[in-house]
Amino acid sequence: MLPLHASSPKGKMHRHAYSSGHAAYPSMSGTFSIQPHTFQPRSPPSLRFRRQLIQRLLLAGSLFFLCFFYFVPDLRPNLGFSPLSLFTSNEDTQLETVRYYDLNNVQGTARGWEREERILLCAPLRDAAPHLDMFFSHLKNLTYPHNLIDLAFLVGDSKDNTLTKLSDKLAELQADPDPRQHFGEISIMEKDFGQKVNQDVESRHGFAAQAGRRKSMAQARNWLLSAALRPTHSWVYWRDVDVETAPTTILEDLMRHNKDVIVPNVWRPLPDWLGGEQPYDLNSWQESDTALALADTLDEDAVIVEGYAEYATWRPHLAYLRDPYGDPDMEMEIDGVGGVSILAKARVFRSGVHFPAFSFEKHAETEGFGKMAKRMKFSVVGLPHYTIWHLYEPSVDDIRHMEEMEKERKAKEKEEQAKKEREEKLKDTFDSKSGDWEKEKAAVQDMVRKAKEESKEKEKPAAELTKNEAQAAVQPNKDQKIQEARGEDEKPKPQPAQ
Amino acid sequence: MPPRSLRRQNPITLLLAAILCIGFIIFFFSNGESSVSPAQGKTGGTASNVLSPPSLPFRKSKSNEAAGPPPVVHYHMNKLTTSRTPIENRETVLILTPLARFYQEYWDSLLKLSYPHELISLGFIIPKTKEGNQAYAQLQAQVKKTQSGPKNKRFASVTILRQDTESPLVSQDEQERHKLEIQKVRRAAMAKARNSLLFTTIGPTTSWILWLDADIVEYPPSLIQDLAAYNVPIIAPNVFQRYYDTEKKAMDIRPYDLNNWIDSATAKELAAKMGKDDILVEGYKDLPTYRTLMVYMYDPTADPGTKVKLDGVGGTFLVKAEVHRDGAMFPAFPFYHLIETEGFAKMASRLNWESWGLPNYLVYHYNE
Repeated sequence: MLPLHASSPKGKMHRHAYSSGHAAYPSMSGTFSIQPHTFQPRSPPSLRFRRQLIQRLLLAGSLFFLCFFYFVPDLRPNLGFSPLSLFTSNEDTQLETVRYYDLNNVQGTARGWEREERILLCAPLRDAAPHLDMFFSHLKNLTYPHNLIDLAFLVGDSKDNTLTKLSDKLAELQADPDPRQHFGEISIMEKDFGQKVNQDVESRHGFAAQAGRRKSMAQARNWLLSAALRPTHSWVYWRDVDVETAPTTILEDLMRHNKDVIVPNVWRPLPDWLGGEQPYDLNSWQESDTALALADTLDEDAVIVEGYAEYATWRPHLAYLRDPYGDPDMEMEIDGVGGVSILAKARVFRSGVHFPAFSFEKHAETEGFGKMAKRMKFSVVGLPHYTIWHLYEPSVDDIRHMEEMEKERKAKEKEEQAKKEREEKLKDTFDSKSGDWEKEKAAVQDMVRKAKEESKEKEKPAAELTKNEAQAAVQPNKDQKIQEARGEDEKPKPQPAQ
Repeated sequence: MPPRSLRRQNPITLLLAAILCIGFIIFFFSNGESSVSPAQGKTGGTASNVLSPPSLPFRKSKSNEAAGPPPVVHYHMNKLTTSRTPIENRETVLILTPLARFYQEYWDSLLKLSYPHELISLGFIIPKTKEGNQAYAQLQAQVKKTQSGPKNKRFASVTILRQDTESPLVSQDEQERHKLEIQKVRRAAMAKARNSLLFTTIGPTTSWILWLDADIVEYPPSLIQDLAAYNVPIIAPNVFQRYYDTEKKAMDIRPYDLNNWIDSATAKELAAKMGKDDILVEGYKDLPTYRTLMVYMYDPTADPGTKVKLDGVGGTFLVKAEVHRDGAMFPAFPFYHLIETEGFAKMASRLNWESWGLPNYLVYHYNE
């Protein structure tokens, strides 16, 4: 349209008409023409028709393309970014789609906190709501820089409010007024595997359920890890939520050893009647010849589980080697690892080591993980004297036993109460006499001592004072022995003066 | 009427109208991506933080904004599907390639894939060698070009990893590459590279993974849909190579990838006699296995949709992400006397996932 117009003789005429009237402003010549009161010759009809035709064709063409491109967006010619997109949405310029990583920078070193190495903390959860408060208090207290810790949870097959409670707790954590409390990336994977096994202590630890349970646990761990591992991670830390006591520096403590896979010793506290404490995690062990021979006799899909009489493997367990006063830095090479608290370099997982959900060299899950790590020539180490404490959950037997004990205790208490009352009565009636006897005895003793001392002072010179003192020290002992010989009731010390 | 009224107009008005017109047209055409972005939003395919799965693009925070704590992100992995109609279900595909050499044909074929590109993420791992540096530079240039090009050609995300190779033996000469002694070390390093790539990029949102070797340069653009349509856990096309037949004086095709096979009794016997750390590989005269190789099952006259059950797979196949998530990886150690991709098929079968092959569906390897 524009070129057509420009070629018309009209423009010149305007200029001409105007320039006469505005001679004083030559620069503005002819640009403005409001009333061209001039004669304009009509162009010949043929020319006019042709021009009209061209204009119509162009109009139709542009309309067609407009419609065509409207309905077929794929064929639109690309003319670069839309100028409006800069104002309306920043999607284009703000969207980052390409990422570069150098895996050599994330191999993991002994002093990760100084090199800002990121840790992925993984925790598989199922019906874990009661333990979450404890777990989060542990999290908050970790001394490793929180911004370098990424949290990943897999919540599956939970029948309680684990998911909602976890979300609330995490939101609360990230809303903490202290920015040093904020963690890095936090992901919650929701995935149900349809596990049939109950999570209560009895069904969880029964021998028959073990192999199947371990395999589905392994599956959950693998899903969690594969979904959460990033090219930025140097370390991966696996932690069960039901750990009751652990040092706040556990990440640094384990990292300092600079091993590919490292686990602490895991024990649990017990009620006094059960011995006060007990090794908990029996999955950290060293391979034995008996176990290897046993493995050869089993079929391909069999899984050896540790800590059951059915498989006597005679393996040295990390748990049983604990010495409460031993050096916490002492290391021990192991082959199977327990899953309560594992620190591993991310490169172990990157190279393909995982938790076998099948029978790998007759082992599954964390024990199979240890075996596979060994197979790929990674160092797998346990710390026998560095202990964390698992929560004590009484088993059904324990609960029954405890109920019985409670009953017994109450009966005993009652009995004791009755006995005491009886004694009180006895005391009330006979007590004054025993008191008198005491007083008299003390008075007699006093008199005897005084008499002795007097005689000694007269006999001995001052030079033998040391001997004297020694004798004096022996004296009360003798008295005591005499009293003890007299019987329990007459012990003077606990008796209140009456 | 129109010419007359037009003539009456003042040129400046017409000029303004024209500018408006052009402006409108530019705006109209360049804004064409608006039809794509809402679809992308539907999959929830963007992350709001740098700390996010690499299979998702993320929104950069504005520089003047104070960075808040990273958000708590839920991933609903129960809703992740792998079906025979992946496009309709908007299933995301991750294409993984261990890259040692960059071929332009590889990238061109990739761009031609008809699967919606906004559902495709790419992952590469490149060794830190001289050759790797060159491949890296070439790849980077192509990625930059594509990701700033037309929006419907852009991929959802691209992740490029670099890693030192563990063995000094990975010289890629054709002669040296296939020697049996070197094979084990080379394939173990390759297996580790594949695992590193896989486990750092798979993320929580991927449905399918297409393993595509860097030297696969020709395949139908509908490759992903075609393979997914079989709806099996692992499916491998048949890898052939185009070459110039000097006798016939014409281009022809010949079998290339020998790692897609069906096990044989002889191979099982051989394996039983082997030591724990020995591996059994295809294509060596001193170790005849009598396995049925898929490359020799190609029959251009037969049904192109035929599928056969395999026991070992090569480097190019489509796999459901859950197979890898369950733990099936590429063993870098002899696993049932198998290693790398062949070992992968074995491990998958231990986890009850079957491998299949398409003898009559061809993809082509680069001719060196």
